[in-house]
Amino acid sequence: MDLLDLRWDIIWNYREMFLRGIWITIVLTVSGYAGGIILGVLIGLGETSKKRWLYWPSKLYVDLFRGTPMLVQILIIHLAVIPTIFGQSYGFMVSGILALLLNSAAYNAEIIRAGIQSIDKGQMEAARSLGLTHSKAMRKIILPQAFRRMIPPLGNEFIALLKDSSLVTVIAASDILYAAKIVAGAYNRFWEPYLVAAVLYLILTYLVTKLVAYVERRFSNGYNPRRKREGRSLT
Amino acid sequence: MLKKKRLFSMMLPLLTASIILAACGSDSSTTSTTSSTVSTSNSGEVKKLVAGSESSFAPFNYMDDQGNVVGIDVDVLNAMGEEVGFETEVRAVGWEPIFPQVKNGEIDLGASGITITDERKETFDFTEPYYEATQVLVVKEDSPITSAEDVKDKKISVQINSTGHMAAKDLVGETNPNILGYESVPIAIQEVLNGTTDAAIGDNAVVFEYIKNNPEAKLKTIDDDSFEKEYYGFMVKKGNEELLNLLNEGLLKIKENGKLAEITGQELE
Repeated sequence: MDLLDLRWDIIWNYREMFLRGIWITIVLTVSGYAGGIILGVLIGLGETSKKRWLYWPSKLYVDLFRGTPMLVQILIIHLAVIPTIFGQSYGFMVSGILALLLNSAAYNAEIIRAGIQSIDKGQMEAARSLGLTHSKAMRKIILPQAFRRMIPPLGNEFIALLKDSSLVTVIAASDILYAAKIVAGAYNRFWEPYLVAAVLYLILTYLVTKLVAYVERRFSNGYNPRRKREGRSLT
Repeated sequence: MLKKKRLFSMMLPLLTASIILAACGSDSSTTSTTSSTVSTSNSGEVKKLVAGSESSFAPFNYMDDQGNVVGIDVDVLNAMGEEVGFETEVRAVGWEPIFPQVKNGEIDLGASGITITDERKETFDFTEPYYEATQVLVVKEDSPITSAEDVKDKKISVQINSTGHMAAKDLVGETNPNILGYESVPIAIQEVLNGTTDAAIGDNAVVFEYIKNNPEAKLKTIDDDSFEKEYYGFMVKKGNEELLNLLNEGLLKIKENGKLAEITGQELE
């Protein structure tokens, strides 16, 4: 195909689908990620627990969802799990968010577990020797330090989830990739639609990168809220 | 001792993987040698054609338990080949890749119940039709829908970018979010059963095959005259006159001797 012979009008004809696609992609990713963080914290703490009945289910969950492809999980959840449990499906939005949520919870749990375990054992010992209870030491000493270390990998996970959300196309969720597929099928042209899809995902991930960089700076050691402007130039 | 054991347990998955891979490798090499001996034994005049298909399109092409693509398309091609002297290898390449692969010449023809349409004719050449198809609506048994008119404000599932998808677009509009496009017709029908959509639109042969295989599924089909008749043809690269003539010649012969009707169960004039 001639690279210079691109027909952007075919994208323009379907702009409505692309705009809806961007919106669906954002809603799926943000809801899936938010739910994934909440569930991930619980499972991550379960993984650091010494109680066996907490540890093993958490470990099993993480192994299960990290060890199987997300595409397979989406198909199982949408076509098998939900119809079997509820007798009917509730559309791609519910299945899509649930699949993204369950998947990202497994990855987030590992990030949270690793973050907590990366804090030196001496920190806990020192806090306990000063008279803090285990849970108080966890809340005041360990978790704040661990959280700073979790920011970059959690940001990574968000970007990965944003891109992986394109897999829900397979259950006909009208996201960005779906719009591109429709255009490609309608005109039998492949450069324009998939290039546009790639650029749209790139813009979204770039925005997330900027957001993560801001959060990271905000929680850095050198951050001084009183010197917002000058503080930045020091780092 | 303990160390050795641990090392062994680490190596075990690697070993199994390599054994499986080795087995696969030898397997494929034996099949390739047998196929090459076949083609050399009939050397010269027997031409080998490579066809691409989407192999979850029963009864036109699907995979048997040996991993071979079988079905009406394959039978028709083989019958044609017997008459005019060519062999066909039908490969499962997936629905959407068929089009660029034929265009780029990676495969000789597309044989996947492909409907002859004016849009597709702009980029490809088609043989004479070998099957007449219509779109049918599939709804639940207790559904109030009785005609295509009734689904205008309902959710419709289709196979993405198939002619059923085009029919749905004609009904409710190009970019209507109520059309949901899935990878295959069976999934689109499943979504009606699951309650995601109210109706599915698909090619008659595929829909009937699904219902035949799932007799307890509470579904009914609706014929609607507003759906246009369609014709399946084999699709070749635009301008490939030689191949097109060869295929048409074979098709004419099996039409005349009745083999085509025997395979498809349908008289085509």
